[in-house]
Amino acid sequence: MGVLEITFENVFKTYNPGLFKKKVRAVEDLTLEVSQGEVYGLIGPNGAGKSTTIRVLLGLIRPNKGKILFRGEPLCQGQFREEIGYLPENPYLYDYLSLKEILEFCGRVSDCSGAMLQERIKVLTEKLELSQALRRPLRTFSKGMLQRAGICFALLHDPSIVILDEPMSGLDPLGRKLVFDIVLELKEQGKTVFFCSHILSDVERLCDRMGVLVKGRLVRTFEKKDFEESAERELHLLLPPVPENLMPDLGDLAVHLHSCPGGALLSISAARLTETAAILGRLGIQIRGTRTSQVSLEELFIETVEGVTS
Amino acid sequence: MNRVWALAVITYKEGIRNRSIFGVLAFALFVLGLNITVAGFFMREVGKVTVDMNLSALTFSGLLLVFFVALQLMAKDIDKKTIQLVFSKPVSRGQYIAGKYVGILLFVFVSLLVLVVFSSATVSLLLNLYPNYFAGFSWPMFFLAVTFILVQMAVLSAILILFSTLTTSSFASLIFTICVYLVGVTIEDVVFYVVSGFRTEAISPVVQEVLNVVAYVVPNFSMWDFKLEAAHGLLIAPARIGLGLGYAAIYITILLILSCLFFQRREFH
Repeated sequence: MGVLEITFENVFKTYNPGLFKKKVRAVEDLTLEVSQGEVYGLIGPNGAGKSTTIRVLLGLIRPNKGKILFRGEPLCQGQFREEIGYLPENPYLYDYLSLKEILEFCGRVSDCSGAMLQERIKVLTEKLELSQALRRPLRTFSKGMLQRAGICFALLHDPSIVILDEPMSGLDPLGRKLVFDIVLELKEQGKTVFFCSHILSDVERLCDRMGVLVKGRLVRTFEKKDFEESAERELHLLLPPVPENLMPDLGDLAVHLHSCPGGALLSISAARLTETAAILGRLGIQIRGTRTSQVSLEELFIETVEGVTS
Repeated sequence: MNRVWALAVITYKEGIRNRSIFGVLAFALFVLGLNITVAGFFMREVGKVTVDMNLSALTFSGLLLVFFVALQLMAKDIDKKTIQLVFSKPVSRGQYIAGKYVGILLFVFVSLLVLVVFSSATVSLLLNLYPNYFAGFSWPMFFLAVTFILVQMAVLSAILILFSTLTTSSFASLIFTICVYLVGVTIEDVVFYVVSGFRTEAISPVVQEVLNVVAYVVPNFSMWDFKLEAAHGLLIAPARIGLGLGYAAIYITILLILSCLFFQRREFH
């Protein structure tokens, strides 16, 4: 793990919904670390406390207990905000302002100089395919366009840490790809990305580490290599129907042998592939196809959440 | 300062492009047109009625701008969570309050100045049509009264900001601001009634004490109301002008400091 950028140390946050109502524990004993240059994804069911975690980090709400450190020091909002870019879930920008005006405002408050500011506006709006809409009032934008405008707003001052709350929300497949590429580019540039999303396939592909938050508690953490290792352990070979008399020979090779429609599925250790292929060739059995046994984040997520809730 | 100004500019632009201000403009133009139409009915009082109607139209338009457009400029940020985007940038809560206040003032002043142009044209027209009935009228007095309408709106905007930082609902902010305004415009008359010998009923000491506290806490809007003097062409002592401006400046400063303190404590869910 590299230099620690953001650290949550035993953070608790309880909401008081009003008189005579039960207090809601949004975040409970959250300890989490995000390293420099890492893409960290926080996933969890609705109401798990993901957005609350981000709001606590941004200083929009105060934790009841616990500490948040930025580069090892207690978080100082002034310096922290100069270094971050934030995209909230469903960003709402000013109705009667144009995208150019809102981005110029963002530049001015972030101390961006005139020429640099205009250059950044040009680059980002072209990248997010908004350059044609630069002078249009934001109230005429579609949901996806507003989401992309929010991303421009977050990235305008070239922050070193990017915090994204549901960045793919409201985007069509093309918009999702745009955002996906931007996150990859940020990763290549060595920026730290901390994001929440419900689209687990994107989280799995983008993140170096993932944390599962359930009922305000961080219950499990995965690393990208956990998925890669699972893929390396087992391999499934799709075979034609195997004659009964050859079954014992195959049974010796297989971890599992299942019948499947139109044939059989032979699960072997990935390390024994060459040996298995030679034996199958000798027995005259043709390999029709292969499957890897990579466990998806979705499977692990469901297993984790069900485990905690039951 | 740069951040405060950047916030003020976007607040002003968001306000001035709001279509609701066309409604306020239409209302003001209707009253001014009505003034021209009915002026002849008032014979010798034409001058007084004209000045009074114009200044009242400006005050009422200012109130509509503050209560309905300026309120949205502050409340929508919180309701729609735009404030979270603003606070993700290096903008402190104090800078946010200052920026919003300056932006709202710019918006209200520019909108009212447009109406002042129409109002001055109306007065000028009637002055030419009925020159004999404008004996006590003076333009400096008229503009002084207009200036103090702007002062009233500046105080009212600060009250609005304070309530927006305190309440979670924009409707509650609106109601509280309207209440403070109504109490503020009548408090001087109520206190005068209580302390004078005109009243016929006895008033309990508790009510008198409460009234004293309210009179100190709520701004006395009569301090900034010069409609009567402008309509009758009465002179105003410079000390009263200075007192009025000083009172407003102190009041606004206190309100904004309190707003900053409350806003520092506020959480944005």
